[in-house]
Amino acid sequence: MLEVSHLSKVFVSGKNKVKAVDDVSFVVNRGEIVGLLGPNGAGKTTTIKSVLGITRPSAGSIKVGGFDPFAEPSKALSLVAAVLEGSRNIYWRMTTWENIVFFAGIHGVSHKIEKNYFDHLIETFKLVDKRSTEVRQLSQGMKQKVAICCALVKKTPLVFLDEPTVGLDIETSYELRGILKELAATEARTMVVSSHDMAVIQDICQRVIIMSGGRVIADDKIDDLLAVFRSRNYKIAIGKVLDNDVVEHLRKRFNDVEVQLRERKTNITINLPSAGDLYALMDFLREHNIDLETINQQDPDLEKAFVALVRKERERCNGNS
Amino acid sequence: MQRQLIAFQAVLFRNVIELKRYAFNTISMLVSLYVMFMILFFGLQRLGGAALAAGDTLEGLLVGYLLWTMAIMAYSELSWDLNAQAQVGTLEQLYISPIGFGRLNAYSLLCNLVLQFGYAAIILAVLMVSTGKYLHVDLVSIVPLFIVTLMSAYGVGFAVGGLALIYKRIQAFFSIFQFVFLAFLTLPWAQFPWARFLPLSMGNALLREVMIHGRRIWELDPTHLMVLVGTGVFYLALGIMAFAWSERIARDKGLLGHY
Repeated sequence: MLEVSHLSKVFVSGKNKVKAVDDVSFVVNRGEIVGLLGPNGAGKTTTIKSVLGITRPSAGSIKVGGFDPFAEPSKALSLVAAVLEGSRNIYWRMTTWENIVFFAGIHGVSHKIEKNYFDHLIETFKLVDKRSTEVRQLSQGMKQKVAICCALVKKTPLVFLDEPTVGLDIETSYELRGILKELAATEARTMVVSSHDMAVIQDICQRVIIMSGGRVIADDKIDDLLAVFRSRNYKIAIGKVLDNDVVEHLRKRFNDVEVQLRERKTNITINLPSAGDLYALMDFLREHNIDLETINQQDPDLEKAFVALVRKERERCNGNS
Repeated sequence: MQRQLIAFQAVLFRNVIELKRYAFNTISMLVSLYVMFMILFFGLQRLGGAALAAGDTLEGLLVGYLLWTMAIMAYSELSWDLNAQAQVGTLEQLYISPIGFGRLNAYSLLCNLVLQFGYAAIILAVLMVSTGKYLHVDLVSIVPLFIVTLMSAYGVGFAVGGLALIYKRIQAFFSIFQFVFLAFLTLPWAQFPWARFLPLSMGNALLREVMIHGRRIWELDPTHLMVLVGTGVFYLALGIMAFAWSERIARDKGLLGHY
């Protein structure tokens, strides 16, 4: 459905050159829900805008359904819809229904022919009561829903959602995630979801592409990515406050240790890359007569995997420079 | 073809809704145009003395003012609209339409041209009644003349709209063109023979012939008509080229939609 190959984008301003996207390649297959993650300035939005033909790449090629968005914009863009700036992408002085009719129309989709589908989406997004309300009178969450609705009514096989839950309260974000998951399952559309919110990506997507410094640093199924980080992090509770010497020893003996000294207890978060390290930790605790209160394998989450990967990439970049 | 028709209907639908929602803005624009002309008219009548009051200059003022009003509307339609779309964040959505931004823009201009003729008819009727100066309103002659004359204003609109894509906050620059258009309309050909090749200038002269002296379009000097068409096409093409060039820069710099 989407093929991005060796995409690079350099922004030139006077004598300054900023490499926003650096040799990025990935493929999104039909029906996949892919998350695009990255810190600010990672190159996510530039990549999306290049795919949409809004920003011209400096190098590389893009194929949307086999069509180049710059050489054959009409064919490529007829396959894609996007929510780029959320609620800013719609007309606030027009009603929900008017926005939907307009944005479907400029994609060549008639509201007369597709009325049932439009009604279905309005119902799914719980916008029935707000159908005839001007968008400016809606809450941020509602506006966001209208913007997503306006993208989906185009019935394109590929949909880009850039920060679909940004600025939403937890409840609305959760509701929106539910709707997107449902739509993804029932309509079998290909979706690329860019977000800072790891929970959104983990919840909606099957696969994640992580970008940092303009490069793809990970491209894997979420489960596989999490498996890499599984069984390495442990949370240990000790029923007493450890001496500073012991804490120092612990930090010297193990690389990735976080120690929190509380009033009557100590919490340790430790990364143990191999099974041998776990035994080594047990030996260490025994040597220092420390009794364990609890030990829990930490549930891996995308946020930790993301932070670890981005940190590693930054260290690599700093090392190179 | 059907997709194009659906897109045209969608643009028309949006423009009509916006007209309704911003009705107060439209009415106040028409009222200010009326008040401004009346101040100008009575001021000139009083200060200009017998030369102004006796000849056809006041009728000329009426024609020039009407053309100036329509030129500003045509020009600002493009430049202000582009700026506003970039501000509200809808510009990117128009750019990712498979219909093409250029076509959507053309549809919008077409819809608004019809509206502009409506506004012009209202302004003209009210001004004629208020001033007692009646002009020949031969639609067969004046509509094509207005359209061809406005092509150069659209050209300027495209060029300035292109600049707005790159430089964003150039509202002050937009306003300057109101006065530039005024200069195009008032530069005397006797002193500045090249002025007839400026936007609006030839159109203004030919519209005076038709609306003041009652001549029909086919009675006009063919050379003048050719200059009118030539300048209209030239400035429109130049404006579209400038817009395409700006658009290319905006795409390269990633400025489309950023505000």
